[in-house]
Amino acid sequence: MIDVRKLSFVYSPKTPFTTQALFDIDLKIETGDFFGIIGSTGAGKSTLVSHFNALTRIQKNSGTILIDDIDLSAKKLDLKKLRAKVGMVFQYPEHQLFDDTVEKDVMFGPKNLGLSVDEQRERAKQAIGLVGLNYNDMAERSPFELSGGQKRRVAIAGVLAMRPEILVLDEPTAGLDPIGKREIMELILNAKNMCPTVVMISHNMDEIAAYCNKIAVLGNGRITGVFEPKELFGSEALLARCGVELPLVTELAVKLSRAGLDIDRSILDEDELVRAILDLRSENNA
Amino acid sequence: MRDITIGQYYPARSIVHRADPRFKLVILLLYLITVFFCSSFFSFGFMTFFVLITVFLSRVPFLKVLKGLKMIIVILIITSLLTMVFYTDADATPLGEWWIFKIYLSGIYASIKLGWRLLLLVLMPTVLTLTSTPTELCDGLESLLSPLKKIKIPVHELALIMSIALRLIPTLIEETDKIMNAQKARGAAFESRNPFKKIKAMLPVLVPLFVSAFRRADDLADAMDSRCYRGAKGRTRMKVMKFHAGDVFALLFWCLITVCILFLNYNWLGWYFITVLGL
Ligand SMILES: Nc1ncnc2c1ncn2[C@@H]1O[C@H](COP(=O)(O)OP(=O)(O)OP(=O)(O)O)[C@@H](O)[C@H]1O
Ligand SMILES: [Mg+2]
Repeated sequence: MIDVRKLSFVYSPKTPFTTQALFDIDLKIETGDFFGIIGSTGAGKSTLVSHFNALTRIQKNSGTILIDDIDLSAKKLDLKKLRAKVGMVFQYPEHQLFDDTVEKDVMFGPKNLGLSVDEQRERAKQAIGLVGLNYNDMAERSPFELSGGQKRRVAIAGVLAMRPEILVLDEPTAGLDPIGKREIMELILNAKNMCPTVVMISHNMDEIAAYCNKIAVLGNGRITGVFEPKELFGSEALLARCGVELPLVTELAVKLSRAGLDIDRSILDEDELVRAILDLRSENNA
Repeated sequence: MRDITIGQYYPARSIVHRADPRFKLVILLLYLITVFFCSSFFSFGFMTFFVLITVFLSRVPFLKVLKGLKMIIVILIITSLLTMVFYTDADATPLGEWWIFKIYLSGIYASIKLGWRLLLLVLMPTVLTLTSTPTELCDGLESLLSPLKKIKIPVHELALIMSIALRLIPTLIEETDKIMNAQKARGAAFESRNPFKKIKAMLPVLVPLFVSAFRRADDLADAMDSRCYRGAKGRTRMKVMKFHAGDVFALLFWCLITVCILFLNYNWLGWYFITVLGL
């Protein structure tokens, strides 16, 4: 569980370049959530999540964050423990690959946790499998000769190998083609079996609508609201207020229903839409 | 990491910020030469007065300027102290004596002057970097050095390299920040005291950093190619540097100060010069 209370954050305080990125954020993420964070560019999403494993430390008198029983505003923090607990996948994680083989790169996290070599290898093997790569093919290859999508999987495996309880992803599908995007999302869903809580930042409303069970909208460093997908994408007034666009699937459903077809306007998932259309056709044929 | 931005530009609206960077550079050069001609306390005071006026006009908080001096204050104190204790003056009797050190009155004067001179030498460049962006300085330098093109020195290319380097430094710092964060998130510890361990710990940062620097360089080269960049030949500027009456006036004014210092230093008109100034 992540419990954010009255969190504020200022970049470069006391200089001419100072910007306040977060204002009094209150947020509760329960264990088992697939939690989506959306908001326009510069809203403060990345700043907020980088607090979750203390890469950004909470400033003085700027609120607090509780992760289960760990208080992140405490002076003395067991960073190792925290970072094993909260796995963080940054935007373009493939840029952090450095070692000469995929296996060694994935083992970097477990190694830093001070595990034995066997345990490190065991975890790397599992993580590489978890992201849908073939361990025997991949282990000895250089991460730099892989395709963009494969690199990203390796990078995600590097985080999963630490076996986090909370997985935080910052725009995990940015810059991939539609199939690559779907594969990454499937992989995250797969990883969720092992790591129960997932927090994901995304600009892609289709992903958010299809996978998240709760969505926080951020605007100019403030929480505009926390909603269920049906609630947010089902209400035009709410969408307008939050400055959020409809997922393409839902937009299509709305257009079809405007055109006179009997289709639910709050469909959030491609499969669901396809099923609805097929049902409609078989009804008509009958 | 972010605090080591190169150039310490302090944005403000002032006549010093607005001034033509070429004139600022020439004035700085003139000023530095002039400082070497200062010899009497009076001339030091005279220069300091005008430096303070420049700081005042630049609207940079005085504390900010002093912060720029933080780095050299130690050097300054040490050199002054050394000068004081090792100064020898055969004609004078020492004020005090301790072990092999003798302190002379003229030694104290010399050390104060040395410290003051160093201070003056650092102050003005600090003001310059506080009031002009690295890009402005680069362009100014290119323009001032452009006569060297006649003797086949590739001034434009050198300036371009310099401005690209300056432009990329903050980007690379940001990149380093990001990569360090990513590796920290995987449990990397960069706080080790052992220097060998430290270098080894930096490897997971350095490798991605180099990869990204090369990627950036490639991208930049492509971007320049696709915009038909062909070097200096026939190239015009988007921001044409223009100087104003104020710039010329400032330059003339500093020339005047130089002349005054020279007069004071060489005592060309005898000490009447001071009475001429009305002091
Ligand atoms: N290192 C930094 N130094 C100063 N200001 C920063 C820094 N990083 C971000 N900011 C500022 O903080 C605000 C929030 O930035 P943040 O990166 O958290 O936004 P974001 O919601 O993640 O945006 P995006 O969708 O583009 O990733 C922005 O106004 C940004 O300019
Ligand atoms: Mg971001």
